[in-house]
Amino acid sequence: MKQINPIFSGIYWLTTLALLVIGVVMVFAYTPTEVTMGPVQKIFYLHMPIAICTFFSCMVVFIASVGYLWQRKAMWDHLAHAAAQVVVIYAAIVLLTGMIWGRAAWGAWWQWTPRLTFSLVLWLLYVVYLVIRPSIESSQRRAMICAVYGVVAFLDVPLVYLSVRLMPDIHPTSIELEPAMRNTLLFWFIPVTMLTVGLITASFRLAKRQAACNVIRELPMPKSKTPRPLGTPLSSGNRGVV
Amino acid sequence: MTATDLITADKQSPQADALDWVIRAVGLSLHIDDRAILHDLTFDITAGSYVALLGANGAGKSTLLHVLATLTVPTAGELMLFGKRVGRGNPAIRANIGMIGHQPMLYRDLTALENLVFFGKLYNVKNPIDRAEELLNQVALSHRADDPACTFSRGMVQRLAIARALMHDPKLLLADEPFSGLDMASGRMLENMLAELHAQGKTIVLVNHDIEQSLAITQRAIVLRQGRIVVNAPTRELDLETVIQEIGIS
Amino acid sequence: MMLLLRQIILLTGKDLRIEARSRQTLGLVIVLGILIIVVLGLGLGPEQLTNGASATAALWVAYLFAGVLVFEKTMSVERHDGALASLLLAPIDRSVIYVAKLISNLILMLILALVITPVAVVLFGFDLSAAPWQFVMIMAMSILGFAAVGTLFAAVVSSTRLQGGLLAIVVLPLALPLVIASTQMMIQLFRDGKPIGGTGLTVLLAADVLYLVTSWLVFELILEP
Repeated sequence: MKQINPIFSGIYWLTTLALLVIGVVMVFAYTPTEVTMGPVQKIFYLHMPIAICTFFSCMVVFIASVGYLWQRKAMWDHLAHAAAQVVVIYAAIVLLTGMIWGRAAWGAWWQWTPRLTFSLVLWLLYVVYLVIRPSIESSQRRAMICAVYGVVAFLDVPLVYLSVRLMPDIHPTSIELEPAMRNTLLFWFIPVTMLTVGLITASFRLAKRQAACNVIRELPMPKSKTPRPLGTPLSSGNRGVV
Repeated sequence: MTATDLITADKQSPQADALDWVIRAVGLSLHIDDRAILHDLTFDITAGSYVALLGANGAGKSTLLHVLATLTVPTAGELMLFGKRVGRGNPAIRANIGMIGHQPMLYRDLTALENLVFFGKLYNVKNPIDRAEELLNQVALSHRADDPACTFSRGMVQRLAIARALMHDPKLLLADEPFSGLDMASGRMLENMLAELHAQGKTIVLVNHDIEQSLAITQRAIVLRQGRIVVNAPTRELDLETVIQEIGIS
Repeated sequence: MMLLLRQIILLTGKDLRIEARSRQTLGLVIVLGILIIVVLGLGLGPEQLTNGASATAALWVAYLFAGVLVFEKTMSVERHDGALASLLLAPIDRSVIYVAKLISNLILMLILALVITPVAVVLFGFDLSAAPWQFVMIMAMSILGFAAVGTLFAAVVSSTRLQGGLLAIVVLPLALPLVIASTQMMIQLFRDGKPIGGTGLTVLLAADVLYLVTSWLVFELILEP
């Protein structure tokens, strides 16, 4: 497995961190405070990019799942797993930030609104993906079940979106974005996307390394060479022996 | 015996008429997660031959049989059955294959007759009921035709499984450890049945743990070790000790 | 085409005959369904139960859990004694196995629904007369989608040694769009007294088509003896 240059890796993560810090500074120093919601509205700058990247990660899970079903190579399973982990973390952030926002807007931590319900179901869909994995012993079967699940779960997302539209929407809100707010929002996409790609890649590489270690552990022990008695003809057993 | 002696090609040359061989495998490999279960297997099995597939546990015998039955798709190599290349969407090829597996592959809640008639209809057998009764007679189960399979002893289940495999009169019979769990009498009956089928011109590939028995009843032996062919020769040219040595320990 | 139909009828007939002979599935799931409805009825209390939403929700919970059991059991018939391998050996398309299994599951679910729906209607005082045919249509479409996904995953999951709750936990979240759409429509119909619009039915239809097509395509890839 090709090693990523550690210097490149270090620069990448430092840059991401730096951009995040700049983003936070922009949020508190540069953007104005929104009139109706107050400072809680600023959570939107995190919420929106993370939500978009969640869908991006869901798509990675889907593509990797299709890849596994098509080629049956373990690396697709590792990729799907890595992306699913990111989906779960991100969807939790989307859910929590949405709830915080809702608490400020409606005074309640939870309402069965389309948006919140959608976030919750999305999170649940991919939590299940992670949770079933330890229950399946055979790595092949696990990859197969998760691949099929990964495909159907992604195709489920638009269905969930459409079905929650049927629910009554309390306090539909839209925010007018001033230039400063729009710039900050767009800026936030950069570190969040970098974070997403970095997390998926790191998790993927870790999974591949772990799988390689497992294979080495499972190889049969080399046969011990017992001395052959004199006069016994050599069998053809020397061919193909590990 | 030198190393090369243990792999003698079938008397037919590869350029022989395609209809003379039933199974042709070229470079068959099966990898699961970068582990090679079957490695670069190349062999022919001619029509009407009775072949034993031998090897230690984990050598790949059952896996190979599954590949030959088209139940498992190899990751590399080519498999041709009855002159046709085996691909994904090719159900018609399977009409000529019969298989006796580790498990009986029957429905325990259906009666012996119902099981056979079901499989007969599945394979488009003409007059499936007559054929089923004929086979039940052959395996000495006629008196239990209307009893559900779950009431059968292990030996009877195995005999019913053999009848099921033969319902559609397949040209190729694949048998995976069919003698396991059978008592002497049923085992003897199975040996005779297989010999009879061989005399009728059917091709039989038999996976068997009992090396001595295999060498006695079959024409040709293929020995696998860790997924590779180490022996492929007529059984009359092999002796028990050599084969045991070739098989090795799992 | 006729051949395909004959094969499907043959396989479905086999499943139903086995069920009639062994009687292991229907009795179990019907009683489970009734138990769930009774427990929910006890838990919710009389005030909660008077609106159509609770009855629908209770029915859905019963269908989901009893349904999962149906899918598990019809697939386990194939796993006993390796019967599935014999189907895979036969000169039939894999998709025929899927369609036949789906139809078997649908027939059993239909029988289940015919028994426990009246139970829920009576125990919850659910007045269906406002819109009986819409109720049937919504439930039928929802159960179809659920069975499509359930049949697929029953085949995928049943080869693992651990079954237990595994099938339930994978199928339930995937069925949520069906649950959400149908319960919202039921609330509209029975609590608010409004006719259902096209959107809800479109969602159900889209879900059904998606699940059926995906399951049918994927089934070919996942079957192993």
